[in-house]
Amino acid sequence: MAVIEVSRVSKRFKTYDRKEGVWGGIQNLVRRNPREVRAVDDVSFTVDAGEMVGYIGANGAGKSTTIKMLTGILVPSSGSIRANGYVPYLDRHQYTRGIGVVFGQRTQLWWDIAVVESFQLLKRIYDVSDRTFEEQLEIFDAVLDLKPLLYTPVRKLSLGERMRCDLAAAFLHRPRIVFLDEPTIGLDVVAKENIRQFLKRINTELRVTVVLTTHDLSDIEELCRRVLIIDRGHLLFDGSLEGLRERFECKSQIVFELREPVQVDFSRLGFNASVEFQQLDALRCQAVFDKKKVASAELIKAIVNSLAVRDVTLDDTTIEEIVREIYSRGEVASA
Amino acid sequence: MRHLSILGYYFAQYIKIRLAYPGDFLIAVSTSLAGTVASFGFLYILFHRVSSLQGWAFEELLFIYGFNLVCLGLFNVLSMNLYEFGERYIMEGRFDQIMLRPLHSLFQVIFEAFRIESFQEFATGLVVVGYVWHKLDLPLTPLDLVLFLLMTVCGVTIYLAVFVMLSSLSFWFEDRVGVSPPVFNMIAFGRYPVTIYNVFIQFLLSWIIPFAFASFYPTTYFLQRHEFSSFFALVPVVAATFVLLALFLWSRGVRGYQSTGS
Repeated sequence: MAVIEVSRVSKRFKTYDRKEGVWGGIQNLVRRNPREVRAVDDVSFTVDAGEMVGYIGANGAGKSTTIKMLTGILVPSSGSIRANGYVPYLDRHQYTRGIGVVFGQRTQLWWDIAVVESFQLLKRIYDVSDRTFEEQLEIFDAVLDLKPLLYTPVRKLSLGERMRCDLAAAFLHRPRIVFLDEPTIGLDVVAKENIRQFLKRINTELRVTVVLTTHDLSDIEELCRRVLIIDRGHLLFDGSLEGLRERFECKSQIVFELREPVQVDFSRLGFNASVEFQQLDALRCQAVFDKKKVASAELIKAIVNSLAVRDVTLDDTTIEEIVREIYSRGEVASA
Repeated sequence: MRHLSILGYYFAQYIKIRLAYPGDFLIAVSTSLAGTVASFGFLYILFHRVSSLQGWAFEELLFIYGFNLVCLGLFNVLSMNLYEFGERYIMEGRFDQIMLRPLHSLFQVIFEAFRIESFQEFATGLVVVGYVWHKLDLPLTPLDLVLFLLMTVCGVTIYLAVFVMLSSLSFWFEDRVGVSPPVFNMIAFGRYPVTIYNVFIQFLLSWIIPFAFASFYPTTYFLQRHEFSSFFALVPVVAATFVLLALFLWSRGVRGYQSTGS
């Protein structure tokens, strides 16, 4: 069942180019140079209840703009959005009660007051009962280790600590959908792991639908079954991670190490048509191939049977490489 | 009820924040107090030389002045964020957070900060009004009290409405719009009987930026200047009209909100 339906949504911004220098500044007063920017262009997708979806794209690709439209901050220039049964920007009051939002770059909490006071304020704003409030705090404390932070003013927290508090704040009112915009940006490995664990639990145990944007593709690989890739406002890909690997020519490579230095005659292996062999140095050789055409098991078997091999390593293309390639090609591929 | 409880909590938190820097707070209170004293001093010196202003006695002017201070004080307490709205909320992008909470956006913006020291103006104003009331032996029935309360609410409302409209402009113009300070200075015009001005300013203060409806016209009833009674009756109408206009403009602005990058 779809909880988020986005259909043919576009967002256009009007910006004014400014000329540089003092004289330019004076000219700007008289003549403004309007320019239309299409931040999001004709994007459609749906998200089912309980899904965890990764939304990725380079800087300025339109990720944040999409999230802002999904959360009701921005009004789409055209197209329609329904989420949780509401049109986000029209039914803002009811809608925001059922969603949680985290912007990695900006805190939800009040800067000068202690974390717990911010929570108390949110509790009142969202009408959370005392019992739910206590229960939620217990859950968060177990995963995010919140208790030591509760009485510190937000401005004195480190980025990682602040992020943990922000996550907790976004989940206080038990939202059904959560949007996270770059939740792991700028965090160290431990803090990232902490947050991923939390998201996994929330998603599997509480069946909360999660949409997250990130630069860090390891987030996606660890958390999401499904990815949406956006570039320059266009949706380039919508499908599973495996699907992404399959769809894009996935070069895999096998590096094998010989027992003793010999000149290898690769034609003996019988894969000459489909595999690119190369001897890297006296001991090491490399085979590059397309996974869709060649089964890696077969190839490894052939290598091990016909050559005296000490070690074999198989490298799949990482999602990161695929994405880099997609960006550079800007190719449209829908699944 | 929920809004009231949230408002109370916002207020308590804000007091805590301000009292975290007691020196800063004390300075703010004393500057504010000095400003009030200076403006009364000016009025006193003025009337040292002339005994009345176009038929208005010193005490009557003092009453208008005091009433203006009551409304202005409350308005100043509430208007802190309206002044900095463009910068704090639009340019820095904090309005995103406001939009994510199930509360009216204007409610949040207004009640997230208070200029607490301006309660001083409110209190001074009340004392001055009370003094004149006693000195001129003006009638004081329960109805008068209710009307005084109503007029105070209307006065504060008119000020707020005007500045909400000005703040709404920030939704469309990303550049800092410097219209608030001159308009704020115009509030001072409302401290005197509107009849001392030329027709143009009278019209401006009554129907364009209705500051006369927030200070002068409300006082005429209590001062028993019944020639202005039709204006007095219009005070709630003007307040309601401007509030509706302000809310309309604000919600149009929210629709057009463009947010910042990232």
